[in-house]
Amino acid sequence: MEILSVSLAFFKIGIVAFGGGWSVVGLIKSEIVPRWMTADAFNSLIAIAQSTPGPIALNAATLVGWQKAGLFGALAATFSVIAFPVLAMSLALAFAKYIPLKKSIADESLRTGSMAMILMTLWTLLPQTTVAWPWIFTLVAFAVTAFTKFNAVWIILGSGVLNMLIGVLH
Amino acid sequence: MNVPENPEGRSRVPPTPWRIFIELAKINTVTLGGGYVIVPVIGNTFEKLGWINEKDFYQVFSRAQVFPGPIALSTAFLVSYRVGGVIGAIAAVLGVVLPPFFALILVGGFISLYGNTLLFKRFLAGAGAVVPGLVASMLWRTAKNRKWTVRTAIEVIVFAVALAAFTSQAFFILLGGIILLYVGRLIWKS
Repeated sequence: MEILSVSLAFFKIGIVAFGGGWSVVGLIKSEIVPRWMTADAFNSLIAIAQSTPGPIALNAATLVGWQKAGLFGALAATFSVIAFPVLAMSLALAFAKYIPLKKSIADESLRTGSMAMILMTLWTLLPQTTVAWPWIFTLVAFAVTAFTKFNAVWIILGSGVLNMLIGVLH
Repeated sequence: MNVPENPEGRSRVPPTPWRIFIELAKINTVTLGGGYVIVPVIGNTFEKLGWINEKDFYQVFSRAQVFPGPIALSTAFLVSYRVGGVIGAIAAVLGVVLPPFFALILVGGFISLYGNTLLFKRFLAGAGAVVPGLVASMLWRTAKNRKWTVRTAIEVIVFAVALAAFTSQAFFILLGGIILLYVGRLIWKS
């Protein structure tokens, strides 16, 4: 019943997936590592999910579903992650008049929530090692994407190729 | 439904569900780099087709941010509902979801074929190594663009420490925390 537990995990992720791609990553990790994959495999998965078209949470769902239960697993996981958001929006459109949500307060709460999620994501993803090279990759990637307008996708692909070349040279 | 009149008087393509699907599928096939890159592209495309004006689009976008899930999905869903009704919104979901899905199936197939070669493993390890750096820069940019008070700073730190300390319960902490923040502010204001 792998397919059901993967779907349930991604359904839960869909409920609290606020604040743009990266903030959700820590939450995804808390649901699937170490249950279904190792921390290193997870980092690679996120790199793939980010450098392919489409939202990161959706792509991660498709990949994990595919790995665990093939094509149907991928379909089930992908539609599970959007199930709650689509339901919530449909209900909001249908019953907008009756929902007394204070938008500015909700915005402020969600901003705090998503900042906390990004912090958690960073905390759980930091290299669990004192070996220098993962830290160097991390710091260079931070410096380049934080202070220039360089697209993150090129950083991901570039460092993949770089690491491949280093392997060939050794 | 709310089909907008065309302010510039240009001839425009009617927002049929099929057309909405095709436009969103095109955008989602070629745009890399996540929600905040895709949303402006959706806005431009829908404006050029004469379906919505910029002001209305960004109004819908700001409403979309209240909902969970990928921001590209919620924006596409709400905007398409506005221009194309219920069927338009369904078309939007498929337009956002299907192209990445098939791209990922291809990538997944590729990985199961070549994933065990040493070279490809090195590629994945290198690609994965920059991920924490990218998250850190996202954190930096988000923090820079926010108006901070002592209160919001404390809230973020307490929230983040709770999440990091009880990672396996992240889901419930997030859900509870966001509701608590909202209710807390509501009571504070009144």
